[in-house]
Amino acid sequence: MSGNNHQYAFFLGCIAPNRYPGIEAAAIQTSKNVGIDLLPLKGASCCPAPGAFGSIDLNVWYAMAARNLVLAEQMKMDIALVCNGCYKSIWEVNHKLKHNDELRDGVNEVLKEIDMEFKGTIDVWHLAELYYDPKVVGVKKIADSVKRPLTGSKVAVHYGCHLMKPGKERHFGDTENPMWMEELVAALGAEPVQYRNKMQCCGAGGGVRGYDITHALDITNEKLINLQEVGADALTEVCPFCQLQYDRGQIEIQDKFGVSWGLPVLHYNELLGLAQGMSPDELALDLHAVDVEPFLKKIL
Amino acid sequence: MAEDKYKEARIGVFLCHCGTNIAGTIDIDAVREYAKTIPNVVVVDNYAYMCSTPGQNKIADAIKEQNLTGIVVAACTPRLHEPTFRNATAAGGLNPFRFEMANIRDQNSWVHMHQPEEATEKAKDAVRIAVAKASLLEDLIPKSVPVEKTAMVVGGGVGGMQAALDLADAGIKTYLVEKSPTIGGRMSQLDKTFPTLDCSQCILTPKMVDVYRNKNIELLTYTEVEAVEGYIGNFDVTLRKKARGVLTPAEAEARGIVGGGCTGCGDCAEVCPVIKPNPFELGMAPRKAIYIYHPQVSPLIYTVDFDSCVKCGLCVESCGDKKAIDLDAKDELITVKVGTAILALGYDIYPIEKKFEWGYKNYDNVITSLEFERLICASGPTGGHLIRPSDGETPKRIAFVLCAGSRDNTDTGKPYCSRFCCMYSLKHAHQIIEKIPGAVPYIFYMDIRSFGKMYEEFYYRIQNEGAKFIRGRVANITEDPVTKNLHVNAEDTLLGRPIDMEVDMVVLAAAIQPSAETEKTRRLFGVSCSQDGWLLEAHPKLNPCGTTTAGVYLAGVCQGPKDIPDTVAQAEGAASAASIPIHKGEVELEPYFAVCLEDKCAGCGMCVYQCPYSALSLVEKDGRTVMHVTEAKCKGCGTCGGFCPGGAIWMQHFASPQIVAQIDAFLLGGEQ
Amino acid sequence: MAVKKDYKDQKLAEKLRDRKYYIPDSNPEFLKEVEKIGQTPAHMCYQCGTCTGSCPSAPRSSYRIRLFMRKAVLGLEEEALTDPDLWLCTTCYSCTDRCPRDLAPTDAIMAMRNLAFKRDIVPRNFLQTVQLIYKSGHGVPNNDANRAARKKLGLDEEPETTHKYPEYLPGIQKILDHYKLKENADRILAEGA
Ligand SMILES: Cc1cc2nc3c(=O)[nH]c(=O)nc-3n(C[C@H](O)[C@H](O)[C@H](O)COP(=O)(O)OP(=O)(O)OC[C@H]3O[C@@H](n4cnc5c(N)ncnc54)[C@H](O)[C@@H]3O)c2cc1C
Ligand code: SF4
Ligand code: SF4
Ligand code: SF4
Ligand code: SF4
Repeated sequence: MSGNNHQYAFFLGCIAPNRYPGIEAAAIQTSKNVGIDLLPLKGASCCPAPGAFGSIDLNVWYAMAARNLVLAEQMKMDIALVCNGCYKSIWEVNHKLKHNDELRDGVNEVLKEIDMEFKGTIDVWHLAELYYDPKVVGVKKIADSVKRPLTGSKVAVHYGCHLMKPGKERHFGDTENPMWMEELVAALGAEPVQYRNKMQCCGAGGGVRGYDITHALDITNEKLINLQEVGADALTEVCPFCQLQYDRGQIEIQDKFGVSWGLPVLHYNELLGLAQGMSPDELALDLHAVDVEPFLKKIL
Repeated sequence: MAEDKYKEARIGVFLCHCGTNIAGTIDIDAVREYAKTIPNVVVVDNYAYMCSTPGQNKIADAIKEQNLTGIVVAACTPRLHEPTFRNATAAGGLNPFRFEMANIRDQNSWVHMHQPEEATEKAKDAVRIAVAKASLLEDLIPKSVPVEKTAMVVGGGVGGMQAALDLADAGIKTYLVEKSPTIGGRMSQLDKTFPTLDCSQCILTPKMVDVYRNKNIELLTYTEVEAVEGYIGNFDVTLRKKARGVLTPAEAEARGIVGGGCTGCGDCAEVCPVIKPNPFELGMAPRKAIYIYHPQVSPLIYTVDFDSCVKCGLCVESCGDKKAIDLDAKDELITVKVGTAILALGYDIYPIEKKFEWGYKNYDNVITSLEFERLICASGPTGGHLIRPSDGETPKRIAFVLCAGSRDNTDTGKPYCSRFCCMYSLKHAHQIIEKIPGAVPYIFYMDIRSFGKMYEEFYYRIQNEGAKFIRGRVANITEDPVTKNLHVNAEDTLLGRPIDMEVDMVVLAAAIQPSAETEKTRRLFGVSCSQDGWLLEAHPKLNPCGTTTAGVYLAGVCQGPKDIPDTVAQAEGAASAASIPIHKGEVELEPYFAVCLEDKCAGCGMCVYQCPYSALSLVEKDGRTVMHVTEAKCKGCGTCGGFCPGGAIWMQHFASPQIVAQIDAFLLGGEQ
Repeated sequence: MAVKKDYKDQKLAEKLRDRKYYIPDSNPEFLKEVEKIGQTPAHMCYQCGTCTGSCPSAPRSSYRIRLFMRKAVLGLEEEALTDPDLWLCTTCYSCTDRCPRDLAPTDAIMAMRNLAFKRDIVPRNFLQTVQLIYKSGHGVPNNDANRAARKKLGLDEEPETTHKYPEYLPGIQKILDHYKLKENADRILAEGA
């Protein structure tokens, strides 16, 4: 741990640590390489899942997310995380409670029962935005950290919904045709490719994946058609839940619709890990449902 | 000042029933009985309609019979009937400013309809307060100022041109100030005009020539308003004549160049090596550093764009003996005096690229309606052939996106309806059906607002010609990266089905907004604007051409979106309104201005900076420095009067003792 | 209220059911509740369809977000809350980003789902997530295969969450119990089984 590094409490969520642990390992290692230390946020829980909890009772969603926020407040540290769903819960509840006294009082009423109080003393960040922000890391530093450029590969970006939308509450600017993640991809030496309806949802959110899996997969499939059209070698995203939907989803699409794509799907941290020289084993890429090998062949 | 020629106040109070408007809620008898007990009140009367002739007669008669010194009418609002009752007061032989109104209708019976008792009590308070003021009112004499017999119109679009022509035809010398090198405005960029489909240039060009030729119009193109001083009847307007670099024949003659000056031959532009996009063609065609917007410009004088001119001198050479070009020209400031002014500043197209979802400036084949006008116009950059910017092909399937940025309450849109985009989109649909065999216009709309004369009939006609109407606002547009075709996504709300429509071209009926310099110019003239930036009329219904600044009027879109017929109608209205003070020769100013009590004034001058209308100055008088009020500029706002530490400023009709008496009357409930 | 025809034949009764909108069909409180929970003035919707045109769920189903907005405005509570399409919103927020009236249709849907839940209308998978979190703190908990993979990566078998620090679980359970969430989830799942 170097003295000058930025330090954040690392909010893990569920899917990264419990289904794609390579993302967790990669996030810690790749961040360290660009000057960010991710420290354990002990006792954190599910963010909780914004689709499921928000749909049932928004008040529970606020309170549960607030508990996670208080853990970081107690560490006196901003939160960094790697999942858009977590961002929706943790960032948005933090934002709402900071700006809405009535909500905050209601939540603190409940937190009192477990000797906690939401104070609103920290901020919440997605690692991707920290990577892009020149005040923290910046595209140049990302590029400088690359040891094995991903030259020769075409990588498409799925931004996901809950990081940047609803745009009026967030701070990312253009939500219709953003390009900042493409810059992060280009920094790794890959060629970012554009495809139709880039900003469309993966299909999994809002509980739809669990409620009506074929509906969710049909949305995913539409995006895979558009990705196929432009010949992407891999899709990258910054949300393990989107990753699950695209990665396992392709197997399910094969099962249910008889359509196969074979498009490798990698979290940006996994991609960054590869570019910084981590081996596929160090990233547990073998846990991916869709074989990543064809992509690795392009770049190794 | 406060000294009174009347020994004691004798007040008459008149209560109006306003039919049942007031009497239906307020107990008039109770108020009448109460009013009799108020000090100074000598007569109390009531009537069904005080504003009627019998009602007014009651006032005049009572003044004569009872030797009254002040009148209180408890009725509607001063806005509606103050002039009426002032006249009645004067008819009784009293100075009309000895009248005070108590509003017991709009601010009482109408809002407290369900609390008659409280309303009655409130009416008693209002009458008592009015009596307190009426007891201290003084005679005031309105001042007259002479009016300069010239006018100015700022903005040379169709609105400004019409206003200038009307003023000039009424015999008034008029300065027409236009910031660009030619008059004509947006209308000269249009191809045809709805609903009659006459050619825009054909009906506009004669007007432009008329303006140029009219002896009473002094046309000042390439000129901007720099400063405005003065008040109605006597505005001193400083104008910046921007360096044009080309002399008119008259200017040439003044410099002793006989037979010289620009003839509009264009030899200079031929040789000019600098190529720039022509803003008139919205950047779709080139121009040189020495240029005209289009062949019909008025005046037909070339202009040098000094920002891009490289001063090679080739044009000077080619101009030859006409010696029209002066590459060392500098901006020139001139000041003119005018009696009244009309603002006709027009509009700009909203930067619709801010609506990222429609991809304007990102997708080649998404254009705005104004660009469409230029592309479909025979004198436009493509000679009237509508083509796709991506490949020059003729589009067959064209989607029109209505309400693009209008009726939009987000921070990337405008909340209002832009009012002419429905109609011009119908026109555009007609134009492509007429010009391109097999072309189909798809109009995505929320409502078709075809409210004008023969407009709904025009809608019927276009529908009959085969335009397809889809009731749904466009959600987003995506581009096929290979064909550059566009996919328009929306819901057909009548079918209740989402649509993905592949088209060759999309035309955005972009919202409009006040033109770039409207804000600056309106401030110079002291004109207010509404929240959305359009200039504010004096009254939305009863005074739509006037402003709250006396002597300044509005014409055309700068007051709010409107089409050509409405623009011209308002321009004629504004011209008429602007000519009235000039024809009268003098204007009466309400005597509500500040008066300096010179013996109390310390000459500190702090009030001078407080006054928002620059009405105050310091002058030397009898060896002392005292404040001086330019009465015509003072609006009686009271800022200075409330501020003066020495109490040396007397606000006529709203003097401190009068206001204090009103407050006392309210707080003390009538007890002295 | 819809005309009651008392036809004996159930099929015919359904086929010929009165489909008119009557004022008593509507519950004006419904709109108020949707607006309060969703924190969006749904009554300002002018039915432009931008939302449906943006919606990834619309092209593949009968789900029309615009119609849910309409039902909220008209107070058609019963129709809105019992419609299975209510659960097809992926909460992608495209509609919210583009709504020209600056509304948040997504949040109106969330509010309607909250109201449906109060009537025990909720898909089972949502409740199963509640149960999992009550038990482990995670909606997607750890498993043996994953533990092995974590170990290979040099990570602790259990992540630094409630998995590694189960002493945090009672706090979570207290919050869920405060809202009787677990209790209701168990009950509804049992009733449905
Ligand atoms: C695509 C399109 C199609 C249209 N089609 C039709 C149609 O078919 N029929 C119809 O009736 N209407 C149509 N309109 C509307 C029409 O353009 C307007 O009604 C009309 O131009 C309004 O005239 P105006 O004089 O108020 O403003 P403008 O035409 O905008 O003129 C304003 C003038 O003032 C000048 N100016 C601005 N600010 C200053 C300043 N500070 N100092 C000096 N000068 C200044 C400008 O340079 C300009 O010359 C259409 C509009 C658009 C966008
Ligand atoms: S400036 Fe001279 S050359 Fe140019 S158009 Fe005028 S007269 Fe002709
Ligand atoms: S005129 Fe028609 S297209 Fe233009 S803003 Fe109004 S309704 Fe929309
Ligand atoms: S986009 Fe907004 S205004 Fe339009 S139908 Fe949907 S909710 Fe209503
Ligand atoms: S948030 Fe829901 S309703 Fe809105 S567009 Fe996305 S899926 Fe459709």
